[in-house]
Amino acid sequence: MKVSAPSGTPGGPAGNKAGNAGGKGAAKRRRKYGPRTLVIAASAWMLAVIFIAPYLEMIITALRPADELRDRTYLPTSFEWKNLVDVWEESTLGDNLQVTLLIAGGATLLVLLVSLPAAYYTARVRYRGRKAFLLLVLVTQMFQPTALLIGLYRQFHQLEMLNSTWTLILANGAFNLAFAVWILTAYISSIPAELEEAAMVDGTGRFGALFRVTLPLAMPGVVTALIFTFIATWNEFVMGLTLMTEPEKQPLTVGINNFIGNYTVEWNYLFAASVVAILPVVVLFAFIERHVVSGLTAGSVK
Amino acid sequence: MPVTVKEPAAGTGPGPGGRKTGPQRRRRGGIARLGPLPWIGPAVLLIVVVVLWPIYELIRTSFLNVSISGFVRGSAGTEKYRQLFDESGFGSVLTMTVVWTVAVVGVTMLVSLGLAQLFNKPFPGRTVTRWALIAPWAASVLMTAIGFRWMLDQTAGVLNTLMTDLGLIDGPKDWLGDPATAWPWMMFVAVFVSLPFTTYTLLAGLQTIPHEVYEAARIDGAGARQTYWRVTVPLLRPAFLVGFVINLINVFNSFPIIWGMTQGGPGSDTATTTVFMYQLKSTDIGESAAMSVVNFAMVVVLVLIFLKVSRWNKEDA
Amino acid sequence: MRTVRLISAGAAASALVLGLAACGDDGGGSEDGTTTIKLVAADYGDKASNASKVYWDDVVKRFEAKNEDIKVDVQVINWNDIDTKVKTMIQGGNVPDILQTGGYADKVADDLLYEADEVLSPKTKSNLIESFAKAGEVDGTQYGIPFVSSARLMFYNKEVLDKAGVDVPQTWDDVAAAAQKIKDEKAAEIPYALPLGPEEAQGESMIWELGNGGGYTDAEGNYTIDSEQNVETFEWLRENLVDPGLTYDNPATTDRKTAFADFAAGKVGMLNGHPTLIQMAKDGGVDYEVAPIPGKDGPLDSTLGVADWMMAFKDGGKQEEIKKFLDFAYAKENTLKFDEMYNLMPVTTDTLEEMQSNGKHKDLEPFFEVLPSAEFYPLGNTSWDVVSAEIKKSGGKAVSDDPGDVLGELQQKAEDTAADMGE
Repeated sequence: MKVSAPSGTPGGPAGNKAGNAGGKGAAKRRRKYGPRTLVIAASAWMLAVIFIAPYLEMIITALRPADELRDRTYLPTSFEWKNLVDVWEESTLGDNLQVTLLIAGGATLLVLLVSLPAAYYTARVRYRGRKAFLLLVLVTQMFQPTALLIGLYRQFHQLEMLNSTWTLILANGAFNLAFAVWILTAYISSIPAELEEAAMVDGTGRFGALFRVTLPLAMPGVVTALIFTFIATWNEFVMGLTLMTEPEKQPLTVGINNFIGNYTVEWNYLFAASVVAILPVVVLFAFIERHVVSGLTAGSVK
Repeated sequence: MPVTVKEPAAGTGPGPGGRKTGPQRRRRGGIARLGPLPWIGPAVLLIVVVVLWPIYELIRTSFLNVSISGFVRGSAGTEKYRQLFDESGFGSVLTMTVVWTVAVVGVTMLVSLGLAQLFNKPFPGRTVTRWALIAPWAASVLMTAIGFRWMLDQTAGVLNTLMTDLGLIDGPKDWLGDPATAWPWMMFVAVFVSLPFTTYTLLAGLQTIPHEVYEAARIDGAGARQTYWRVTVPLLRPAFLVGFVINLINVFNSFPIIWGMTQGGPGSDTATTTVFMYQLKSTDIGESAAMSVVNFAMVVVLVLIFLKVSRWNKEDA
Repeated sequence: MRTVRLISAGAAASALVLGLAACGDDGGGSEDGTTTIKLVAADYGDKASNASKVYWDDVVKRFEAKNEDIKVDVQVINWNDIDTKVKTMIQGGNVPDILQTGGYADKVADDLLYEADEVLSPKTKSNLIESFAKAGEVDGTQYGIPFVSSARLMFYNKEVLDKAGVDVPQTWDDVAAAAQKIKDEKAAEIPYALPLGPEEAQGESMIWELGNGGGYTDAEGNYTIDSEQNVETFEWLRENLVDPGLTYDNPATTDRKTAFADFAAGKVGMLNGHPTLIQMAKDGGVDYEVAPIPGKDGPLDSTLGVADWMMAFKDGGKQEEIKKFLDFAYAKENTLKFDEMYNLMPVTTDTLEEMQSNGKHKDLEPFFEVLPSAEFYPLGNTSWDVVSAEIKKSGGKAVSDDPGDVLGELQQKAEDTAADMGE
């Protein structure tokens, strides 16, 4: 039995009876844009500029020559592309980027490994303690590392795990677990169990059915959960600041903070580094934008 | 109004109850035989070790005397709490935390509603503009905050230059130096970074509303406004609630925005409880832990209220 | 065994924590007979190319070449983070053997440090300038070993003062009058830069307090933060510089680095600065000059002296190795190189003589002159670090809120902290 993943329908997973209101369908119906649409487009484009502007200014600052940093001008007289090179060569940024990649990748993998079985089981089986488990997940979602910072710090110090990459993988994984379990549980329960059962009747085992039927159908949910974890970990700051004390072991967000020095703030380098940190995520996000809506549709709405 | 709309199956929260494809009570062998442990055990373990244990550590530390170098010098009893409540800034920090949370979440939800409506409409360049909307979500909050701090710099900040050139202000101002102007700007940034997620949640919510419902409303002769208030808003409730709760928690705990823009200063005039906790860390770890516990208690209250409101107990019994 | 010593510092309650923590770290004796000592130092660089890591790596390389049985593990940390990180290390049982940073007294309070006598040869110790060595004492015993020093003087932008047609101010009233002229003539955006933000409020405050015969402590070391002179000082600042708009709008949130950057960009008329500003001003093409700091009634003959400190931890028990390294690091060639690299001032007599006589440091001469009479923070008070952190956080509010209230609260906190520490 072959079931194709519903990747082409941003409306949601197979079991989602809800249609797709203002989405692509509507766009196809009226190709001619009326004056109302033009107003909408104009305001949307204006908003888009506002949303992008701060990041454009960061890029401009990143390219400012050092002696024009305190000038009150919109654009520097010339762009100093060398800043982008210098920032790599003269800092721990390379190490920081590597740490961030490791942590974000590790936490994402950890979340996948831990949340998928839990979500699948919770979606399919009504076991004793199911409600308690869901409550635990919900409560975890409510707590943020910032609130528990001192506890986290003292705990990992007792475990002698300060300055270990594993610490940040575990910590980021744990704090992002709730959201993943939440989204995946909802997503999987929206996939008819009959599909799996049919596959099992066809001779595929429980795990075969899980991997061949449910997982592909749940892909948008899985992707959303993973991307959320990846981005949240990529951008995490407070735990990195507190649990990692050695400059080369800190994630990028904390490393960038080091450009705020003792005598000067090297704004141009700071933003040159920020651009490096932000760009991959923006690109990644743009790629999965479609999935985000469909993932959220199932995950957070139900 | 004759339009009757059935709410989507599930209520609120992650409990996917009551759906025909949902959990089933009877299971034939397979995974059920092993019991839930192998499936949910790792998740529970991770939560216990990394979330629950620190809570215990945190509470314990708040009753300890810890030297500035970090050595435990014995029990402090409730002394650290007394010191905390005696801090001259404590009352205003609490008040401003409430103001901050209410204002940022409120504005975020309202603006997101509008944005979601806007971006749900078809128009040329929708994909590209949606990408732009994502930027503050993808960028680290800290970096966005530092970016705004730079743009608001009195000497070289581009926003100061722009507002001066547009005639909005007489000359460059030190916006972040004065709590009266620092708060609104920080709230603006907090809303700015909260909008993408909230808007996308609401967009997702809008897409679950079946087109037929609108058709029906139109046939019944409902105007655009009526349709919005009687159809869209009620059907959007679950998504709205999710966005609301997640924002509430995020904004209440928000640290990088304030830390990146004012560090809570002058003194603790622009600090929320979370930032205040971090400030205390440099002078007294025990007192800082006490602040965390108070903070934590407030989150627990929020959670309880949420459970009450979302009728967690009645659902999924 | 280190555990035992550590426990004596704290209460029994911490035994488990420290016991757990202390057995993990062992950079000490390894199989090949070498001992590793861990050096943690602050970064004095203002850009990546002159980071202190470069300096220490070089010192260590030459030291290791001479002492094959000792390895030195160098970690250089940004000033913003070094306090927090050192705290983390100490709490984590991952204590450095040698630390070079801003303060030492809190570590003395926890009984973590070797006495200076235990880790310096008599020759090295006697080479330290006396006033600085004295500032390293807690209750008459020296623990803090000065590493570099610095002093403050007033910097002014000559062009700005000329344009405004004012002379170099000598008294507070001169400062206010000159700043007003600068403002009237639009000679500079910020006539007088008063950075009372969290970065260094304790320094700027003390300079002004000295101008009125005030300060943080009395002769016995008791805190006098809310003394009449100090309150008067802030009242004057508020009425004569802040309210008339002659400085930043919000001094309490303006950091020194902003003031320095603005001065180097030619946007500031006058400010108190230390020798680091010399190079920044030159780079920015600012025609600057230094002058004694104006006091209430006339220029000060003393100034705020600041030293950064070296200290040795006894946790690792590597006294001999530490001693060898410190003797090496305090040799003239090394200290001279470091001081010249950052335009900082020496703490050892031989280096001071060299710098005064080799003709390469004309810029620093006015600073050398005030060095012997410099006044220090109450570094020997073990509570000073906490008090200093409180002043950094809210001291600047004394020029926006009521000075008496702000200083009064700081005084109360200082007294409480001192009492807690058993001073």
